[in-house]
Amino acid sequence: MMRNRARCPSGECSPASPPRGRLLAGNGYATTFLGALFVALAALLPARSADAVPSYARQTGLACEACHTAFPELTPYGRRFKLNGYTIDNLPQVSGISPTKQETLLLNQLPPLSFMFQTSYTGTKTALPDSVLPKSFAKNGQVLFPQQASLFYAGRIAPNLGAFVQMTYDGTDGEFGWDNTDIRFAKAINENLLLGLSLNNNPTVQDPWNSTPAWQVPFDQRSSVAPTPGAATMIDGGLVGAGVAGLTAYAYLYDSVYAELGGYRSAPAAAQIDSTSTNVVNGVAPYWRIAYEHQWGRHSWEIGAYGVVAKLYPGGGIALSGPANKYSDWALDSQYQYIGDDHIMSVTATYIDEKQSLDATYGAGASTNASDRLKTFRIGASYLYQRRYGAALGYFETTGSSDALLYPAGVPVVGFADGSPNSSGWTGELDWLPYENTKLALQYTKYSKFNGGSSNYDGSGRNASDNDTTYLLFWFNY
Amino acid sequence: MGWTTGPTTMKRLIAIATAVLLVVATRDVPAQQAEHGVPELATGVCSACHGPQGHSISPVFPNLAGQQAGYIVLQLNAFRAHERGDPNARAYMWGMASQLSDATIKSLADYYAAQKPAPGESGDRALIAEGAKIYNQGVEANGVPACAACHGSDAQGKGAFPRLGGQHAEYLIAQLEGFQSGTRANAPIMDNVAHSMTHEQIRAAAAYAASR
Ligand code: HEC
Ligand code: HEC
Repeated sequence: MMRNRARCPSGECSPASPPRGRLLAGNGYATTFLGALFVALAALLPARSADAVPSYARQTGLACEACHTAFPELTPYGRRFKLNGYTIDNLPQVSGISPTKQETLLLNQLPPLSFMFQTSYTGTKTALPDSVLPKSFAKNGQVLFPQQASLFYAGRIAPNLGAFVQMTYDGTDGEFGWDNTDIRFAKAINENLLLGLSLNNNPTVQDPWNSTPAWQVPFDQRSSVAPTPGAATMIDGGLVGAGVAGLTAYAYLYDSVYAELGGYRSAPAAAQIDSTSTNVVNGVAPYWRIAYEHQWGRHSWEIGAYGVVAKLYPGGGIALSGPANKYSDWALDSQYQYIGDDHIMSVTATYIDEKQSLDATYGAGASTNASDRLKTFRIGASYLYQRRYGAALGYFETTGSSDALLYPAGVPVVGFADGSPNSSGWTGELDWLPYENTKLALQYTKYSKFNGGSSNYDGSGRNASDNDTTYLLFWFNY
Repeated sequence: MGWTTGPTTMKRLIAIATAVLLVVATRDVPAQQAEHGVPELATGVCSACHGPQGHSISPVFPNLAGQQAGYIVLQLNAFRAHERGDPNARAYMWGMASQLSDATIKSLADYYAAQKPAPGESGDRALIAEGAKIYNQGVEANGVPACAACHGSDAQGKGAFPRLGGQHAEYLIAQLEGFQSGTRANAPIMDNVAHSMTHEQIRAAAAYAASR
């Protein structure tokens, strides 16, 4: 979840990943007020069974395992629940009221609120120099308490209408902001055809599979204070970083064929769009997605493709008119999942290819080439034993054209070697889920290449391996 | 929030999408009624796990197609009353059944009972042959009665006795183990039947019943 928040801790990343908009940046009163509201609402949430039930579970009466293997990864049923607009329940059937039924009814009539709390420890192999990465507490062995606390409105709003709305307090910069948002209208036309609409703020956050950027396991969680590679494609965090809102329409046929089409516009939260904004979408950026899923026994396998075409004004002081940069992303993805009683396994992979026509940036003399290419490949495998102990391993790689102006050298930690955006490495993770709603993760990320180089990539003597990150995360949902 | 450029395109997009949805939503009312009274819950809720027309894919979810209506009513009542308490019943069906009214239960049971049962599951020939003996004659040595006496000669079931034919073998095994270990403890008849069965006998009887 929210890997995008971690993308650009410094606010000084490459043009491909600008910082995202904030709802209440620096507004002390509002932050305090929301904080109090947050705690009050969290306290109101009803305690129910030991089944660890945030609001979807409260709504459906299902245990978390119906929808998740280890959260946030979805099971086939979880995917259907999402595509159905988070509305599946059987509330309309309430008629005869017995004492126990009445209790459940009362619970369900509460707004579907959930609470998420994350606290973490981050250590990089070599401490970061002071002064770099403002706000990110550059010291080594950083503990964030909380790293992040979120309030969700997650559940059915009305028949066929449901939501997943996340508001997050981020410990890194001490602010509240809109996080992942996905509001849906969905309707089963018959048992074989489902149609829906999603209004969301992050291309692929609406996707039901865990192989697309917003939710790809095991890459969905990473430290928000450790340095991360500076180049990313638009579909892989660039657009969400710029602040967008989009509307997409989808169809799901015979429980296997999925097609989606929509568009995204610039919509940084509560920020005026003017020439100081960066990466402003010109018009609508079309987004498309197709996928096929086959299920047999306890296995499922998905293969799909998705993409976006975004025309962006670089902004940042340059007027929002005239030539724009054009980013064309297309991507492939695949996910295999086996859900047994004791053993659960999944493999997710995606390959993203981005063509950049940098008319605006090149015209302004801020890139060496008129057009560039950027590609990302990620594959991850995870294993879960008795839904309690888990392990995961992932490989990631970004490569692209060298462009000395776009990927500038000479900045400690975040600079690039030889104008190259190339980065690659491995992520390994061990998980312990003592309860269905609680996850303790120990993650290690090892970089073989970072921002274009292995040794002294930033020109200040920092090696890629100095950024190797140990990340201990405690994650609790209620 | 600022739509600085080309707001008309976005508005048009939203308008088109809304129009499409309205057409779909209004058209669908008569369409659904025409489907011979398929209960709305079956389409919108149950099918997400039990599959369209009650034909499921994962053996975690039993097939409901062609199941005996009387048995479905009993089970939904047992879930609703928290009497059938094996782990998957708790995790999935307690919540699902909690809000069902008696009338809804009746209509769901009639709907699923009227669907065409799943074809028999194929499996290990030798195991199925061994199962056929247990199913039809029981195992005198350890006091296992013939399943056919209650579940029918072709495993089609009757009334309160469930259809086993066409069910996922893995699901049947899990249930027999549940009777045996006492996690599905609300069925004294089956507790008695499964009580003395060996694991091998359970596998064989399940494979045969599922193949019907
Ligand atoms: C989230 C998944 C899920 C949904 C949705 C669901 N079920 Fe189930 N159902 C299950 C599982 C799992 C079992 C098996 C429980 C067990 O192993 O004890 C089951 C068992 C049953 C059984 C018992 C079958 C037998 O052979 O004993 C019936 C009847 C049933 N469900 C009916 C329904 C109906 C009717 C609905 C819709 C209102 C529904 N289910 C919705 C998961 C689901
Ligand atoms: C005396 C009658 C009787 C006999 C003999 C009998 N059963 Fe049953 N069986 C039942 C009843 C009644 C149920 C339903 C239990 C309940 O209501 O929960 C049942 C349920 C089951 C179920 C659960 C089905 C489901 O959909 O969840 C399985 C599996 C099963 N029986 C297998 C067998 C096998 C195998 C044999 C033979 C070795 C056998 N039964 C013999 C009466 C019988």
